[in-house]
Amino acid sequence: MERKKIKVPKKVKKKASVGEETFPFDISPMYEGERIRKGEMYVELGGPKQVGFELVVALPTEEVEDMKVTLVGNDLDELEEGKAHPYAMIYYVAGSQIDPDLEPVIERRNHDFQNFIEGYMHLNQRYDIWVRIGKNAIGKGLKSLTQIAKATMMLFKNEMPFIEKIEALYITEGKLVEKLLKEYAMPIYDERDARVESLHDEDVNEFYSCTLCQSFAPTNVCIISPDRPSLCGAISWFDGRAAARVDPEGPNRAVPKGELIDPIGGEYTGVNEFAVEESGGECERVKLHSFFEYPHTSCGCFEVIGFYMPEVDGIGWVHRGYPEPAPNGLTFSTMAGQTGGGKQIVGFLGIGVSYFRSKKFIQADGGWYRVTWMPKELKQRVERFIPEDIVDKIATEEDARTIDELKEFLEKVEHPVVTGVVRPVDNKRITDGWVKEKEVKEVKEGRAEPATQQVSPSSGVSISPTQGIRLVIKDANIYIDKIVLRKKKNEGE
Amino acid sequence: MSKKYRVLAVDADPDSNLADALGIEGYRTIGQIRELFQHGRDEMRTINKESWIEGKIYGEVVFEVDDFDLLVMGRPEGEGCYCFVNNMLRAVLRKLMRHYDIVIVDCEAGLEHFSRKTIPEADTIIVVTDASRKGFKTAVRIRELVTELGIKAGIYLIANRIGEGDEGTVAELAGKENFKLLDTLPYDEDVAKADLEGLPVPLNSKVAKRIEKLAEVLICEAKS
Repeated sequence: MERKKIKVPKKVKKKASVGEETFPFDISPMYEGERIRKGEMYVELGGPKQVGFELVVALPTEEVEDMKVTLVGNDLDELEEGKAHPYAMIYYVAGSQIDPDLEPVIERRNHDFQNFIEGYMHLNQRYDIWVRIGKNAIGKGLKSLTQIAKATMMLFKNEMPFIEKIEALYITEGKLVEKLLKEYAMPIYDERDARVESLHDEDVNEFYSCTLCQSFAPTNVCIISPDRPSLCGAISWFDGRAAARVDPEGPNRAVPKGELIDPIGGEYTGVNEFAVEESGGECERVKLHSFFEYPHTSCGCFEVIGFYMPEVDGIGWVHRGYPEPAPNGLTFSTMAGQTGGGKQIVGFLGIGVSYFRSKKFIQADGGWYRVTWMPKELKQRVERFIPEDIVDKIATEEDARTIDELKEFLEKVEHPVVTGVVRPVDNKRITDGWVKEKEVKEVKEGRAEPATQQVSPSSGVSISPTQGIRLVIKDANIYIDKIVLRKKKNEGE
Repeated sequence: MSKKYRVLAVDADPDSNLADALGIEGYRTIGQIRELFQHGRDEMRTINKESWIEGKIYGEVVFEVDDFDLLVMGRPEGEGCYCFVNNMLRAVLRKLMRHYDIVIVDCEAGLEHFSRKTIPEADTIIVVTDASRKGFKTAVRIRELVTELGIKAGIYLIANRIGEGDEGTVAELAGKENFKLLDTLPYDEDVAKADLEGLPVPLNSKVAKRIEKLAEVLICEAKS
């Protein structure tokens, strides 16, 4: 969307001021977090009672008049004391490195910088901003909002040197604030949000790590990319970026992508190097969008666990809040106990609910077309992200509680796992489908290709309670090439 | 006390009752905000989450009473991962707390807050006990833990609801365990009555007056 300067109506009350000045109030990070109480407040701007917003707009350099501030509406000395008033803060920025993608990054700092100002409290963001100016600031000689604007602009230029020019438009005139919020600011916020949905791993140069959980899972390294939020579901790529900028050595650090090794699995040299380093060598390769091959480690914080069911050659998902056993006979907590701790366990994968929204959701293994079961509650939460042609073919506990019931259901609805899954990302056929014991399997052309041979659903262990076995193995290293469990023939007949 | 200083009262007992003792209603708790975040975060898109949490705490949790602010921690976390939200909460609360002259934290009668190092920067830790041996045992355990964790705070004992004639025994017990006994507060009819009626501790009660004096002493000590 094209960025334009706001045309301030001719007839409104306004004043302008250009250039730097000295301030009667202190500016220092020590004022961050200062809360201005109702009794100490001179005026409130925006907040729960009045309209307000803040916005940074990138403009061509010739359109920005550096260090100029225009105030439309009443100034501080004309606003009724003790009351809330409308408030808009718009900043035009220019610089050779500045484009609209940087707007939210710069806008976010308005909060930080304004809180450096003594007697000025800034809360929230976008159209929720809530500002209080304290009587103490007025007492010290604060007279005009243009002083606030200039102090903020000065901080912007000092702290973010890539801002070559900055200009501010502050508005306290309610009708104009409302009109501009609706017609000017909202479309820009919406555009930014839409970008979240359309931003993919390939569009960025770095991912972010999260090691907040390492106290529980020492070898766990969460890699957060635009297409893969953290396992706990709390941290998106945008959150990672914001945190890494504030504290580059903190729990969220930038991970340069490096070379792309596997575009479908999502494997990058930079991520692998980082994983080796941070896991103490425990984990050497990570594929971000793969279930079976070098899957992402699982910390224990994950919201949902995925489990492979060899009997149907499909994947099931169960979330923390579902107490019953999944069709494989295991509950969330049993599976979580096996999977957590920062290890790569093939056959199980911990994820955050928001990963279901990803366009790359386990794309190496067929994405949604490989999913056979999930609890109804979870399915409803993510239903709008499931492709239409598969949504009704994924069973819930209402359709199936055991492997046998699941098999029956999948066959009835003709789930792709029955006949073989074709993964949408490159239209490659990745599973053979079920081999029926008595019927002759329909031979399709894909069967002869050696490519289908590499499909190995042999990984993962699943035991159904209906068979009356409970197998608990702890602290063991076992290598098994193949296990075949068969029901006795003629049983019960 | 709250007339002279900026005071933040923190109720860190999951079974929040400091607010009741102070006669305060209509607040939200940190626990409620934490749950709101856990449920709403998937829809937050590019919104800055730390700023969202800060806004909720400053706007909805910090409750302004005439002379001081109150913050109620509320219920502990439910199932799931709270690493991220707790990390942000810590950052926001650290920033908030440094703007008060006095922060008083009412903890539950247990060891949880010490072992989790929620309050590593305390100047003074006051252990309140009754005249029972159990109470004294807990006090001793708290002191052991505090020393073990290397928390450098002065530890004091206050004996509360002590029946007439028991003062000697209490002093003896405290002396035996080498505790600095700040005061022995008597059972106060007025306080008990107010509690039953759901009213705040009456400020003109004998006990309240003595506590006021104690507070002055403690502040002097913390400053020195």
